[in-house]
Amino acid sequence: MRKFFLLTLWGMSCCLAAPSAMQAQSDADKIYKTNCVLCHTADGSGSSPTGKAMHAKDLRSDEVQKQTDAALAEVITKGRGKMPAFGAKIKPDDVTKMVAYIRALPNKK
Amino acid sequence: MFSMKLRHSSDVTLLQLFAVLCFVALLVPEALAVPSYSRQTGMPCASCHYAPPELTPFGRKFKLEGYTFTTKAQVTDEKKGHNAALALLEAFPLSIVFDTSLTATKSPQPGTQNGNFQFPQDVSLFLAGAWTSHIGSFVQVTYDSQGDHFSWDNTDIRYANHDRTLFGKPLTYGITLNNNPSVEDLWNTTPAWGFPFVGSNVAPGPSAGAIINGALAQDVAGVGGYVMWNEHWYLAGTMYRSEHIGGAQPNSGAGFSYNIRGVAPYWRAAYQTSTDNNYLEIGTYGMHVKSTPNAVTGLTDSYTDWAADFEYDRTIPQLKNDVVSVRGTFIRENSTLLATFAAGGAAQTSHHLNTAQANVEYHFGTRFSGTAGLFNITGTSDPLLFSQAAVSGSANGSPQSNGYTLNASWWPAQNVDLAVQYTGYLRFNGAQTNYDSAGRNASSNNTVYLLARFVF
Repeated sequence: MRKFFLLTLWGMSCCLAAPSAMQAQSDADKIYKTNCVLCHTADGSGSSPTGKAMHAKDLRSDEVQKQTDAALAEVITKGRGKMPAFGAKIKPDDVTKMVAYIRALPNKK
Repeated sequence: MFSMKLRHSSDVTLLQLFAVLCFVALLVPEALAVPSYSRQTGMPCASCHYAPPELTPFGRKFKLEGYTFTTKAQVTDEKKGHNAALALLEAFPLSIVFDTSLTATKSPQPGTQNGNFQFPQDVSLFLAGAWTSHIGSFVQVTYDSQGDHFSWDNTDIRYANHDRTLFGKPLTYGITLNNNPSVEDLWNTTPAWGFPFVGSNVAPGPSAGAIINGALAQDVAGVGGYVMWNEHWYLAGTMYRSEHIGGAQPNSGAGFSYNIRGVAPYWRAAYQTSTDNNYLEIGTYGMHVKSTPNAVTGLTDSYTDWAADFEYDRTIPQLKNDVVSVRGTFIRENSTLLATFAAGGAAQTSHHLNTAQANVEYHFGTRFSGTAGLFNITGTSDPLLFSQAAVSGSANGSPQSNGYTLNASWWPAQNVDLAVQYTGYLRFNGAQTNYDSAGRNASSNNTVYLLARFVF
């Protein structure tokens, strides 16, 4: 009975958490499309003429993925090289979502 | 060889003044942020331009996506239920271009003073930036010193959506409202944005030109659509109607050379591809116009322009990423001038006109660029259409002109352009010598043009 109760509780929390996670994913997707696709392309490869001209990093590459979350957040916020700073536009919470989004890009290959 | 003759002491003074102005320009500190697109994106001019107005792939994408990309803070509100969204730039997207210039031809135009100093030549105000998250503008209003007034200039207001895919590949589409066929284009090969990028507005120029080559600029209003699929294939089309700025409306046609009957379609198709250091575009564009001079009823003149173009940009990593650009376009115009013929303005109805232009440019980083261009215009001779007149006319009725343009630009800052340009004519309005039957030679129109442009 106790096991059943715990399973039910876990199931309910999953149901409650799922929309929130989906919402976060949706937000991140929207932010990525609005701000990043122009150079990094939808798959993160940066393989478009624009990405090549700007020498945009392949966000799926080891070079990017091996960086810490803090380092990725700093690049998004402060910019680096030809990449402009997005700190004035993207809120800290959304930067965190973007880092998670970038982490998930290699799995979308 | 061209030699600029200083005929009066006042010419010397003007040159000295220009030299001083140029020297002052050298002292301008490097700008960190230039016009409104730069302020909006937080990126330098060089991100979008090899040298303004030449677009880089990023610049093309920025334009394609409706001038809306920004990294800056916005006043925002979310779309919820019945509430509309808001994404408003905090900074008003206003910019200014100030041009001052000196023009000298090898021989003065009869009855005029050579060494023409314009301060300013023109001044433009731009409303250029994002209006909403999907709508942006390039709106230009220009003061011209000869007319001594402001007038509406190039305009491109567009809606764009880049959040779509087609067959699994990215799709960007948009709608454009504009007033100059090809002003909406992404490449520097079509008339609105082609070489020469700067030029004199007082030196004589060939009398013949295809209708798509500027004849309708700022004299039409058009609405069109475009798509870019898979970052490679670009298709666009716009329908134009006459819209005579400064003329009474509704349009009666009186006093205007071109009055579009019905609508005039403009089309564009292009393919682009790139590697890390190479970029290539090949394309075609054209326009069909039916027009009645000075009226909106009666016989029509019909023009059909077919054009091909290409652009190749090569980045050279061994030379600090200097860029070599090679561009070219060929325009074939077939026309049937029933209205002009009936009015006694043409000796026959059927004409054709070929316009070929090619140029190569070397960009030394973002500080210097040197360009050499060739142009050649040939077509049907017509002693009435290309009639005799001093300087601007043709003695033999031929539209043939050819020559070259050399341009050197120095950008002490990304928003300051100091340019020297030389245009040489090998043939002008049909002949090398005495082309106007008034004793003027083609080379008499060889032109030196000095420009100082400030953009802020």
